[in-house]
Amino acid sequence: MKKNESLFMNLKKSLSFNSKKEFVDFLVRVFFLICTIISASFIFIIIFFIAREGIKPFVTDNDGIGRVNIIRFLMGTTWLEGTVFRSNLYGVGFIIVNTVYITLLALLIAMPVGVLTALFIAKIAPKKLSEILRTTVELLAAIPSIVYGLFGSGVILKIVYDLAKVFGVQSPGGNSVLATVLVLALMILPTITALSEVAIRSVRSDIEKGSLALGATKTQTNFKVVLTSAKSGIFTAAILGTGRALGEATAVYLVAGNARSGPSLGLFQTTSTLTSTMLQGLKETIGIDYDIRFSVGIVLMIIILLTNTILNFVKRRIGKVDVK
Amino acid sequence: MKKFVFTVFAILFSISLLACGQTDNWDESSVIKVYTRDTSSGTRAGFMEGIDFSEAAEDDSLLVQGFVTKDNTGILTSMKIDEYGIGYISLASLNNEVKGLNFEGVAPTVANVLNDTYGLKRPFNYVIRSLDDFANETEKNITLAFIAFLGTTDGVDIITNQGAVPLPSTQSWDDIKADYDVCALDNSGVTIKFGGSDSIEKIALALSASFSPKCGNFIPEHDHTGSSDGFKRTQGSEKDGDNYKHVGFASRPFKESELGVAGTQGQLAWDAIVAIVHLNNEVSNLSGEDLKKIYSGVFTTWKQLLS
Repeated sequence: MKKNESLFMNLKKSLSFNSKKEFVDFLVRVFFLICTIISASFIFIIIFFIAREGIKPFVTDNDGIGRVNIIRFLMGTTWLEGTVFRSNLYGVGFIIVNTVYITLLALLIAMPVGVLTALFIAKIAPKKLSEILRTTVELLAAIPSIVYGLFGSGVILKIVYDLAKVFGVQSPGGNSVLATVLVLALMILPTITALSEVAIRSVRSDIEKGSLALGATKTQTNFKVVLTSAKSGIFTAAILGTGRALGEATAVYLVAGNARSGPSLGLFQTTSTLTSTMLQGLKETIGIDYDIRFSVGIVLMIIILLTNTILNFVKRRIGKVDVK
Repeated sequence: MKKFVFTVFAILFSISLLACGQTDNWDESSVIKVYTRDTSSGTRAGFMEGIDFSEAAEDDSLLVQGFVTKDNTGILTSMKIDEYGIGYISLASLNNEVKGLNFEGVAPTVANVLNDTYGLKRPFNYVIRSLDDFANETEKNITLAFIAFLGTTDGVDIITNQGAVPLPSTQSWDDIKADYDVCALDNSGVTIKFGGSDSIEKIALALSASFSPKCGNFIPEHDHTGSSDGFKRTQGSEKDGDNYKHVGFASRPFKESELGVAGTQGQLAWDAIVAIVHLNNEVSNLSGEDLKKIYSGVFTTWKQLLS
């Protein structure tokens, strides 16, 4: 009884305010706490929901179809064997390979272009021009993915189809790894450019001046001093770019060709990614064929988590140079 | 540096020249690139049924290797690019930027669908409860009004917008609504249940959503589980069960065993599907058998098909 009383006294003490100002301050803090709890709890709600649906195919017998074998699911080279709604032979192994492969190629294109653009905007371009360019890049970042997808299916598919012809390959309407990579590279380019530019800008000017004073040319300074000093920030840009590339669904769906088996490593082969597989037919399907898409979602989340961890680890290993 | 830039430009220039210099002759020895909708698509089910390849409606592994899965628009835009591709779309989306193939010698036009000569299609039928089997007069009258609405120009517009080919109609709902007194009442407490074919679900949803405000705001309830449940749950074995329906739909002709009381069944539209190819393609007519051989991988090049 006594203990309870003292607890109550404590609570009363912490809730007694010396002035109105303190009370308002307390209220504001509580309000912030509630906001934080709401926004943070969503990630748990989402994970819980996706996990609940996604585990179903592996633990229930799916209305008599039978359990999905998880090893087979993770290693499979065909998305679905047999009739839909009547088969449990799903496999995403090849799609995982496709997804990682495509993301890697997209980064390979977008990184050099993005970083060099950022360098140009931050260090080389005249002030007026750099402002215009920065606005342009920001605009690009704001374009929704469906627009990139439509641009991809209207323009890039045609270009890839013609390009394949030049190489003597008969491409299925340009739907291919190459088209997907190009669209994704285009989409992550503004992210990489914008973030790299911030990183380059925040390199301390005395490092730069020191390099110039030692007799290095501007170009030498830009490449050997500025870029190396900004590498940590540039790496962050790469991480965010990877995240966007891995998670993009709509644009990819329109240009990938949605291959049902694989993996597709040739540039002109049709392909599919985890997200495009989830998206395909999602609105029209039920039962195991619906639940299994949540399982693919779990796989995607794990892959994003893994790549982010690995990239962050690499980033730490690269280390930091003196950055403001 | 200058030399390097020059070389890059020279290479780019020659590639683009090569691309332009390609002669656009259609080469029949090329591989046929097959495009399909995904397994959950109603158009795919209709197409595969139409070419007598129903088992492939929901099974990708029966299709030829290397096929491309796209949606309706995706197939349409791909056929503008891919000279050696073949795909299928609903007739409503056909335009003159691609070539719609004749099926068994009949051109894919709305007129040919309506006069029943174009074969690659399936009927969208409805069935209602037999007239003496409604729980009350209000439900019966709303159901009858709904069926009448299907044949009005208002209903026809909705069906057309959903990509199907409606039967011709001249009257608008305003012309005939005086015959349906029930629609002047407040029906917001009445639930009308729709079911049957899931291929018709989108059309049925659009129709009931549009008709409900016109008929006293009755509550439409949709539960589409397949064509065979259309008859079963209105006049068949499940008509008095928990899943009973007022209106059922079937995306195929009614079977012998599904012929109900006269005047309770009818057709609201045709679902016509057309096989399309690139404008440069020399093929202009295919039979169901040809299409089946293409989709199952018996014919892999256009040459095999033409010889």
